[in-house]
Amino acid sequence: MIRGVIVMNDRGKPRLVKFYEFQPAEKQQELIRSIYRVLCSRAENVSNFVKVDSLFGPDVRLVYKTYATLYFVFIFDSSENELAMLDLMQVFVEALDKCFSNVCEIDVVFNFNKVHTILDEFILGGQVLETNSSEVVKTVEEISKFFLPPQLCVCLISFRYSYGYDLLFYAGSRGLQIQSWAVHQFLAGSGDSIFIALVTSFITILC
Amino acid sequence: MDQLKMIGRELAMGSQGGFGQSKEFLDLIKSIGETRSKAEEDRIVLREIETLKTRLGNPNTPKFKLKEYLVRLLYVEMLGHDASFGYIYAVKMTHDENLLFKRTGYLAVTLFLNEDHDLIILIVNTIQKDLRSDNYLVVCAALNAACRLINEETIPAVLPQVVELLGHHKEAVRKKAVMALYRFHQRAPGSVSHLVSNFRKRLCDNDPGVMGATLCPLFDLITIDVNSYKDLVISFVNILKQVAERRLPRSYDYRHMPAPFIQIKLLKILGLLGNGDKKASEHMYTIVGDIMRKFDSTSNIGNAVLYECICCVSSIHPNPKLLETAADAISKFLKSDSHNLRYLGIDALGRLTKINPEIAEQHQLAVIDCLEDLDDTLKRKTFELLYKMTKSSNVEVIVNCMVDYMININDNHFKTEIASRCVELAEQFAPSNQWFIQTMNKVFEHAGDLVNAKVAHNLMRLIAEGFGEDDNIVDSQLRSSAVESYTRIIGEPILPSAFLQVICWVLGEYGTADGKYSASYISGKLCDVAEALSTDEIVKAYAVTALGKIYSFEIAAGRKVNLLPECESLIEELLASHSTDLQQRAYELRALIGLDAHVVANLMPMDASCEDIEIDKGLSFLDGYIQQAIENGAQPYVSESERLGMSNISNFKSQEQHEFLTHSLRFEAYELPKPSMTPQVPPVLASPTELFPVSVPYYHTEVNYSTTPVPSISSAGSSELQLRLDGVQKKWGHPSYFSPTSSTLNSDAAKIQNGSTKPDSVGSANSEARHVSYDSRKPQVEISPEKQKLAASLFGGASKSDRRQSSSSQKVPKNNSHAAYKSHVEKTATSDTGAQKTSQPPSDLLDLGETTGTSILPSLDPFKQLEGVLDQTQDPTSLNTGGFSGTDAPDIMSLYVDTSLRDQGNSTANLLSTVNDSSSLLSGFSDATNRTGHGGNTVAQLTQKLSEGPNHKDSLEKDATVRQMGVTPSGQNPNLFKDLLG
Repeated sequence: MIRGVIVMNDRGKPRLVKFYEFQPAEKQQELIRSIYRVLCSRAENVSNFVKVDSLFGPDVRLVYKTYATLYFVFIFDSSENELAMLDLMQVFVEALDKCFSNVCEIDVVFNFNKVHTILDEFILGGQVLETNSSEVVKTVEEISKFFLPPQLCVCLISFRYSYGYDLLFYAGSRGLQIQSWAVHQFLAGSGDSIFIALVTSFITILC
Repeated sequence: MDQLKMIGRELAMGSQGGFGQSKEFLDLIKSIGETRSKAEEDRIVLREIETLKTRLGNPNTPKFKLKEYLVRLLYVEMLGHDASFGYIYAVKMTHDENLLFKRTGYLAVTLFLNEDHDLIILIVNTIQKDLRSDNYLVVCAALNAACRLINEETIPAVLPQVVELLGHHKEAVRKKAVMALYRFHQRAPGSVSHLVSNFRKRLCDNDPGVMGATLCPLFDLITIDVNSYKDLVISFVNILKQVAERRLPRSYDYRHMPAPFIQIKLLKILGLLGNGDKKASEHMYTIVGDIMRKFDSTSNIGNAVLYECICCVSSIHPNPKLLETAADAISKFLKSDSHNLRYLGIDALGRLTKINPEIAEQHQLAVIDCLEDLDDTLKRKTFELLYKMTKSSNVEVIVNCMVDYMININDNHFKTEIASRCVELAEQFAPSNQWFIQTMNKVFEHAGDLVNAKVAHNLMRLIAEGFGEDDNIVDSQLRSSAVESYTRIIGEPILPSAFLQVICWVLGEYGTADGKYSASYISGKLCDVAEALSTDEIVKAYAVTALGKIYSFEIAAGRKVNLLPECESLIEELLASHSTDLQQRAYELRALIGLDAHVVANLMPMDASCEDIEIDKGLSFLDGYIQQAIENGAQPYVSESERLGMSNISNFKSQEQHEFLTHSLRFEAYELPKPSMTPQVPPVLASPTELFPVSVPYYHTEVNYSTTPVPSISSAGSSELQLRLDGVQKKWGHPSYFSPTSSTLNSDAAKIQNGSTKPDSVGSANSEARHVSYDSRKPQVEISPEKQKLAASLFGGASKSDRRQSSSSQKVPKNNSHAAYKSHVEKTATSDTGAQKTSQPPSDLLDLGETTGTSILPSLDPFKQLEGVLDQTQDPTSLNTGGFSGTDAPDIMSLYVDTSLRDQGNSTANLLSTVNDSSSLLSGFSDATNRTGHGGNTVAQLTQKLSEGPNHKDSLEKDATVRQMGVTPSGQNPNLFKDLLG
């Protein structure tokens, strides 16, 4: 089973920490520090695997990989395959990339509840649940729909037209579809009255 | 409008995704990112915590703000600060109707709380409600939380709903329900044991994703109990076959591999099921072979599948053909530039060498390369491999490598591991005493305090006993070489305590035994040790006892003893020591020196540390005295049990046994505490004057007594360290727990084996090791560079290859690429060592050669015949030796498959019909345990299907029939999977 997933930057700051067996906060910090120490001491162009039985108990290993400034670390035991874990990590990063279009460290930090949502689609209770990044992106978008109902999109567009705020990136990767739909709606409607209605709904949804 | 504007601006500045965070959060992250010190960061975070506290507590905070604060709280806790004040808000948020807030709430509680937290009880109700929700996303969120938060007590509250969800129409929900059930099973197997059959049912789910998810719990269940899942072997093989034949929807492909993650899981399961089970393994051979042949070496995941195949092959009942393919795959791994693949190659090699030790020899150079690699992980893995393949012929090289490596690393955990492995190997395979002692010295010097204390005691015992042979000369040589090396080492400034203990003990016991060193020289050294380590009482105790031994040997030999001045002062100092143990030892030492030679010789016999102490438990030597007393009118002794009327327990011996057997309630008083220092401290010498009442029996001539300085809880040692409790123990205690003084029983004399008597197995292993001769290893110094030398000594490869050459003179020399090195060595070896070869007895060579030649493929006669046929049609010079080459393999395999197919040609027609009309065969399987009668039939049908093999014509036909039935093979069709399985 997978014991934990950690994303941290190259200075040892945790960006995403998820242990599938509960670890108290102090223990978590200690583990993160020790893992960071291990990763720092690794030379370049060596294997992506490290045995961490001294930290986690017998036969536990970790797979790590650096993407730009971030270390992605999967910790798991002998019931998983090292190379497959490496690929799962790749899939995870792909999914992040699709969700944030060109993911970077700030995306991971700033949207870390979304990153958690993505991770939860891949791994549940320490077991791999899904291995297809587009499936995961689809599900996450479906969840995001609740975060961003179509009316809200329209409101955002209205804002853009009326006030010059570009709020479209809220819509994420679904933005374009909704945009065309919303623009249609907006232009078909009779200006102010619809706009006021939309703004009202915007406020109700947000608050 | 102004308010709107403000909200809009705030939103615009912050987020990029769809999860809306504010500028404040961005600022927080930025400022933390820019901090230069930990203190600065802490200040910022503490300020943030204060802000969050006030804002979260404010009842007027709008929900979307609340959500953001929670996220910020999570962030703060991730940085290692306490955020427990906010947990309750997270719990509150899970109650929200809006999915957005609900999810955030669930995320926060799953990260904040452990499953035994008090707040969990507040969430259970919400989870229960959400599991019943119409919105499947809400259900998913609740299942996520349930996986993490539901503990043993609350499982019953949600279990019915989770089970219901196993049949949910959305596959995402089913998947998660399976996982949740599995988590419950992990957490409290008892509470869901009646639902385990659900996993079997879900295995034939219409959706391959759900099926794949089910493999995780099944893997664990099978790990725990293989036998109750043997009936699923054929189902698993079938699923794997379908996956490998790309019958799954395209969306499961990854890097052009059909569902590789599912394949890996299945191979793992098959490996478990086939382990040591020939019948089950036979089902797997074809499909595993197929996968290995078709694998794609360019992608990472392809190699992962291949590696898993190797693991599977090495785990199931060995099949020569597959093993050979696996060996080829390993050589590909090892030749790769990627460290990852080489790591896997080494790992796989370790697995295969268990079955066939010869395989490692083909890859000696690659292994050596890995040993010298910069990558620590790879190195460790390689050491693991070397540890597995250590034999008496290569133990020296391997252990030396390990010791060298051990000296250079800092990681204590790994150092300990390597040190104990070195000790283990050295004990098991040591070629000579000299070498053994030297190796142990090195290990102890560098990792003395890390290795288990038992190891030190083992070493002492080994030196005392020798290697279990009766050859006294060899033993004394061992001892004197040990003494010699220790007198040299003892001068080193810093030595680990455990090592000093060994040194002191050995010097005390054998320092003067061979007469090479004088007593004053050794005792001087011992005094130095005791003085240098003023804080280490254990070492001091060892040293004082050793001094006592040295002097008593001197006295017993009739020589005049002159205490060295430093020894005098040491004793003086210890007489006033705070440690009672040291004090007692010092007094004893004093008393010992004052005794006459005869008494001392009895007290401290030479080299008797390993002799058994015979204790006359029945105190038969008192019989005469008792007889006399009774004759004089004394009352005969009535045993305690008789006095108490406990007729069923006739004597104490049986009472003791009784107690050992039935761990029932004990009504007698508490046991005496064992003296805490006994495991580490050698027992104190019995000194007649001080301990007179306790040590009576030892003095009696009929008791064969010898001291046991080996630290172990021997009866003598423990009795002496105890308080005198004779009187007390007669009332409550167990007489037999105590020193023999108090045992006034009339049971038979029992022989108490000293704690230091050797276990037989070790002794015999050692004696085996000592039979090993050096002959098998021949140095190839002049012809090979450094590396090849190492390889040769590690694997015995060079010497082996020339043997092989001589025995197989009729064979064509190997010329496939991975044997290039070997053939080179062979040639040079034949030219250089030709003279040597002829001088050796020919029968020996032939024997060895034959074993090497045939043991690779022990049971391949039919294939060999086929090869013969094939060989004749080809140009003989281009052939590889034997049938080991990868190029021939598929042909032969396909031939084999063809013939088997022809035999079963009749059955295929029937099979097609079964495909059409059987609605769900696999579900029949999963129930097979319940309906054994039907099970038999289905198994038979499916075995036939299995043997179809990769026949494309058949599968096309089947496909066609399926299409005729109006079913198109796609993921959307719910019946597809059933059909495929059926």
